[in-house]
Amino acid sequence: MAQRRTNGSKLLMTVLCVVAACRAVPVTDLLDRASQRSDRLHSLSTMLTQELDSHFPPIGRVIMPRPAMCHTSSLQTPNDKEQALQVSESDLLSLARSLLRAWVDPLLVLSSSANTLPHPAQNSISNKIQELQEHSKSLGDGLNVLSGKMGPAAQTMSLLPYRGGNDLGQDKISKLINFQFLLSCLRRDSHKIDSFLKVLRCRAARMQPEMC
Amino acid sequence: MMKKFGEVILLLLLLLLFFVPHAEGTRYSLPGKPALTRCRSPEKETFTCWWEPGSDGGLPTTYALYYRKENSETVYECPDYHTAGKNSCFFNKNDTSIWVNYNITVVASNALGSTFSDPVDIDVVYIVKPNPPEKVAVTVMEDKGWPFLRVSWEPPHKADTRSGWITLIYELRVKLDGENEWEMHLAGQQKMFNIFSLRSGGRYLVQVRCKPDHGFWSEWSSASHIKVPDYFHRERSVWILITVFFAFIFLIVSWCIHINSHSLKHCILPPVPGPKIRGFDKQLLKNGKSEDIFSALVVSDFPPTSSSNYEDLLVEYLEVYIPEEQELILEESKDLHDGCLKPKGSTFDSDSGRGSCDSHTLLMDKCGEAKDDEQQTDQDGSQTGSEAQRQQAAWEQEALTYAHEDMISPDMSSGRVKTWPSVFSPLPQYSLSPLSQPSSLETAKQHCLSDSLFPPASLSSYLTQPGQSTKEALRSSYSDFCSSNKQPHLLHPQPDARHHLQAHSDVNISSIGHKEAPAGLQLPTVQSTEYVEVHTVNEDDMVLLHPVPSGHSHGKGCLQMHQGEDYSKVNGVDKNNVLLLQRDVIEEQVDMCPCENQDMNGATESCCTSAQKSIPCIHTTLPVQEEKAVNGYVDTATMFPLPIH
Repeated sequence: MAQRRTNGSKLLMTVLCVVAACRAVPVTDLLDRASQRSDRLHSLSTMLTQELDSHFPPIGRVIMPRPAMCHTSSLQTPNDKEQALQVSESDLLSLARSLLRAWVDPLLVLSSSANTLPHPAQNSISNKIQELQEHSKSLGDGLNVLSGKMGPAAQTMSLLPYRGGNDLGQDKISKLINFQFLLSCLRRDSHKIDSFLKVLRCRAARMQPEMC
Repeated sequence: MMKKFGEVILLLLLLLLFFVPHAEGTRYSLPGKPALTRCRSPEKETFTCWWEPGSDGGLPTTYALYYRKENSETVYECPDYHTAGKNSCFFNKNDTSIWVNYNITVVASNALGSTFSDPVDIDVVYIVKPNPPEKVAVTVMEDKGWPFLRVSWEPPHKADTRSGWITLIYELRVKLDGENEWEMHLAGQQKMFNIFSLRSGGRYLVQVRCKPDHGFWSEWSSASHIKVPDYFHRERSVWILITVFFAFIFLIVSWCIHINSHSLKHCILPPVPGPKIRGFDKQLLKNGKSEDIFSALVVSDFPPTSSSNYEDLLVEYLEVYIPEEQELILEESKDLHDGCLKPKGSTFDSDSGRGSCDSHTLLMDKCGEAKDDEQQTDQDGSQTGSEAQRQQAAWEQEALTYAHEDMISPDMSSGRVKTWPSVFSPLPQYSLSPLSQPSSLETAKQHCLSDSLFPPASLSSYLTQPGQSTKEALRSSYSDFCSSNKQPHLLHPQPDARHHLQAHSDVNISSIGHKEAPAGLQLPTVQSTEYVEVHTVNEDDMVLLHPVPSGHSHGKGCLQMHQGEDYSKVNGVDKNNVLLLQRDVIEEQVDMCPCENQDMNGATESCCTSAQKSIPCIHTTLPVQEEKAVNGYVDTATMFPLPIH
């Protein structure tokens, strides 16, 4: 009987120790990982636009829709540094999450269109879009975790529906133009996400200036 | 008058004034098209655009930059043309918006008109190129006696990395003073870097640059010079130690070699052995008396002048010894070819010289083949029946060889009974099956042989069984030699028969051996001796012997059967170790040439089967003199009483 009691107490102690040792990942680490992913996301989208631009019909540049036509342009984001640094962390995170969420559907459209894109680098483009989707998904999950740690304000998200439909165009030119337009919108939005997260990272790591 | 003259001059002047500019105006043109070369932002808060003016057009040209932001149609002009230098436009913080497309155009205008450049769309966040890092400091530090360089720097003061607005990564490069190759190092986000593996006393140059996470590399910072102190002496001392040590070792080794030089010389350069001829005296040669030398060389008893027994000279004459079966087997295996080849060197009188390869007509030719045949039999069990006969014949010869070489001295002078193949015949139960066309070599071979030799029913009555184990060994060795593949129905040897076989072999050997001794005294060319050769083995397990005339009347492998009685069949061995011969009356004469010579001929089998139409008298016991011969040869004429039945 006494032996069983000592065994039980030993077990309890070990369980407590394990629980205590298993601490949650600190927010700084989470933000660091998130910024790395968003960095990769933006690099991919930049490469995509450059690749598509290499064999782009000149007429397309002329009749390209303006960036204000991006489906995320309705979201109010800071326009310069002072504005950006005045935004609270929760709002920054919320903006980042909203933007990320807004690109889930368009990425699907891009992915399906990439298979039949009339472009010499179609294969490479298709692969990069695939990778983009994966990174986007994992970043979204990470940001969800982060928002849970940063309070209710971070949980709010703006809805930015994509209304471009599933088809990018009937003829080759319009297909390419729409593809390029979407990619340019994605490039900017991914840069916004990346910037917000890096600002957040630096703010969270006040005690560790080497992070910035 | 004067007034009129003044008016005319005024008019002329006016005209001149009017025309002159008009004449010069043809060389003026619109200004050339300017082009925006680049726009850069050093910290993502301001940016500058530069343009390249086009041709002048001859007139003073002014340039203006106009821009339009993404969402509005309002056209603004450049706020600052001077801060960034000539042909530039600087946008300060108030005028800079990020994540907004700027549509910028440069206009060149002169008195004649304006020329617009191509518009350029830029977003400030994509054109970031920071200033080089500042306060680059290089110091020499030591790590356990080995020096290294520590480089540290700071980000450009304009770039706001503190707030995370800009994230910079750094890169530095190092090279020795005077060299061309730079060594690049990526430092990531850290602001400090260590460089190792320095040359002592070298003078190094270090430069650093930076890049935003998504932007352009900055320019290299100005080079920082550093000199690494000498740590030469420390290296040298190590080398001195090593040199001294090796010199010491070298001294010891050379001394050892010197001590042992003589024996080493013998080891490395062994002396060439001189010729050693018994009775040869080098001194004599040196003295120069050749007669003495060569007389000393003469051996009195060489060459042999008196003729001794031929038997002494004959190589094949071997003492018969009946050892354990293992020794027999060993000797068999290794002497087979020796025996085959020896006869070639022996005397060629009609009776002798056959040695173990006995009938030169038969066996000497086949001796070389015997080995192949043997191998063939061993390895290829699926040979056709036609091949079987050849193998069988060869096998018989081999068996003869064995018998003669190992157990009998091949006495050339006496007749030989080449019955010994029976000794090595494989399992006698092969005889049980009728001589059907064997599909495999072994079947045919064994079939023929065993059939002729051992009537199955009569075996038990004949044989004693001395030392069965040894005989089994003998048999087993032979069977290995003979064939490796046995028919399934042959896999159940009758042990009795085997023992009988072995006993028989022993008996044969011993009896023949004894007999051979006296026969051996007979010198060759005894025409009266009959040679009996085992020719074939018929289906009754009988070895068919054919007397061979001493003349070489038979051709290559062609045996002719003679008329009349034929005492060449060995019937069996009775329990008194007596070889039982059977007299057959041969009705037909068969030309056995095809049987002997053809390799893959199924006819050989038929020869075998058809050769002997004699009455199978195998069941009759024939009393035979027991002959304990030294060798295995049997002289049918002298040894055995002819069985009459």
